Amino acid sequence: MATDDAVYATIRDIGGRFRKKTLSPVELTRALLERIERLEPTLHAFVTVTADRALADAKAAETALARGDISSPLLGIPLGYKDIYATRGVVTSGGSALLADWVPDADSTCVARLQKAGAVMLGKLITHEFAFGIQFPGHRFPAAKNPWDLERMPGGSSSGSGTALAAGMAFGALGSDTGGSIRGPASFCGIAGLKPTYGRCSRTGVLTLSWTLDHTGPMARTVEDCAYLLQALAGHDPADPASSREPVGDYIAPLVRGVRNLRIGVPREYFCEGLDSEVEKAFEQALTTLRQLGASVQDVQIPSIKSAPAYMVILLSEAYAYHERDLREHPELFGEFLRERIQAGGLITSSEYVQAQRLRATLQADMGDVLRRVDLLVTPTSPKPAATFAAVYDPNYDAPRSNTGPFNMTGLPTLALPIGFSASGLPLSMQITGRPFEEANVLRAGHTYEQATDWHKRHPNV
Amino acid sequence: MTLDELRDRMKAARIEIAENRLELVRRLLTDALRPIHEMDSRKVKTLEPCVTFDARRSGV
Repeated sequence: MATDDAVYATIRDIGGRFRKKTLSPVELTRALLERIERLEPTLHAFVTVTADRALADAKAAETALARGDISSPLLGIPLGYKDIYATRGVVTSGGSALLADWVPDADSTCVARLQKAGAVMLGKLITHEFAFGIQFPGHRFPAAKNPWDLERMPGGSSSGSGTALAAGMAFGALGSDTGGSIRGPASFCGIAGLKPTYGRCSRTGVLTLSWTLDHTGPMARTVEDCAYLLQALAGHDPADPASSREPVGDYIAPLVRGVRNLRIGVPREYFCEGLDSEVEKAFEQALTTLRQLGASVQDVQIPSIKSAPAYMVILLSEAYAYHERDLREHPELFGEFLRERIQAGGLITSSEYVQAQRLRATLQADMGDVLRRVDLLVTPTSPKPAATFAAVYDPNYDAPRSNTGPFNMTGLPTLALPIGFSASGLPLSMQITGRPFEEANVLRAGHTYEQATDWHKRHPNV
Repeated sequence: MTLDELRDRMKAARIEIAENRLELVRRLLTDALRPIHEMDSRKVKTLEPCVTFDARRSGV
C-alpha cells in the first residue's frame, strides 16, 4: 500500500494512481484519517472529523472508478471544509459558541459542488471565530497551530485549512477571504490559496462576515491543485445575489503556457513598505525568477493605494450590521477580542461607511487603469512571516499592515504562493493579482513560477 | 482618534466596551478611518459608493 508517500502528492498524481490501481480512495482516506488522529492532538486543525462519511465517500469513489468513471479529477480526493461552510447533517459552528450546536439541513453551494465532483469529506476545519476573532487560550475551540513552528499562528481566519494542508492531513480545503483569510494562512503555512474574483464562487450557505468583501475559494499545496478545485467551484449560483454570470473558463489547460510576454506590474508603494528583510529578499528573488521565465516586470503606481486601509471600515460596519442583534442579546457568547472588534463597527458613522465605499470605487478604478497597462500585479502577501501566539495575545500587539485587504476592496482575483523560507524556517509568500475573472492568467503565472522553484515541495517535520 | 473621542462614540451608539480593550479598539478605528479623515470629500471625483466587479457587463 503506497500511502506513506501519497499524503503530500498532488491531486493530479493521486488521480493517476487511482486510475492505475496502485492506490485506492479507501486506502488513501484511511491513511489520512490515521494521520489526522495522530496529529490532531498537537495541531488542532479539525473541529469535526467525519470519518464514517469520509469512508462512505471513498467507497463511492472506488465504485465509480471500478466502472471506469474518470470524468472528475476530484473523484476520491480527500478534502476538508472550513467550519463556516454549511454541511448537511454535520455541525457547522463558525468557531463560535453561538453556533456550537448548529446542524444545517443543507450543504453550502461550494461543498455541494465539490461533493458532486466526487470529493471525500474528511471533516470541518477550525476557523477563527466567525472568521474574524482569534482563539485566545480557554476559547471553546482551541486554536490551530502552525506546523512549521508550533509557537506560531498559522494565520487566519482559515487557520485549520492552512494547518491541515501543510501537515499533509488533506489534499485541498475550502477557505474564505474577507481581508486575507485565504491568503494569510497560505502565506504562513507555505501553501497556495486563491481568492477568486468577487462573485466567481458562491457564498450561499457560508457564514457572513462582510457582504461586499466576502469571497470563497480554494486552498491547496500547489497552484495546480487550486486550479482543479476552482474548476469545480466556479460558476453562477442563483441563490447568491453577488454571484456572477460570467462564463467559467478552463483553468487547467492554460497552466502550461508559461509567462513569456506577460507584463507584470509591481506596486511598491504601500505593498513593499516596512517589509521584513527576509520577505524583501525572497520577493526580489521571485521577481528575478519571473523575469528569467520570460515575463516583463516593471514598477507601477496605484495613485489611491494609501486609501486601502479603509477596507476595515467597510468590514467592521458590515460585520456589526450582521451580528448586531446577537451582540446585544448574547454578548457573552462572543469571544473576547472578536466582541470588541465587531463592536467597533457600531462606532463608525454612516457617512464614514459611505466615504469608505467611495474610496473603494476610486481604488478599483485606479487598479483597473494599471491593469490595462500590465497583465498582472505581484506583491508580497504579508510584510512579515508568521507571528508567535504570545505576540498576538499581547494587548499591545501591533499587527503588520495588511497587503491582502486592498484586493478584497477591489474584488480582483489574487493567488498566494510560497517564495521561500526565513532563516528560522518560516514560509514566505507572494500574491499574484489579475483582472476580473482572469483567474486562468493568475494561476498560469503562479504555476509557472512554482514549477521553476521547489518551495512547494518542502514540508514541515510533523 | 483619542480615547475621549472613542468614549463619545460609545456613548452615542450605546455600546459598552471593556476598559482593557479600549486601546485595541482605538488603534483599530484610527488606522481604518485615517484615509477617510485625510480625504477631502468635496474633491473626490463623484463616485457612487456602488461597486461592481464584472468587467464585461454581465453584472454581479
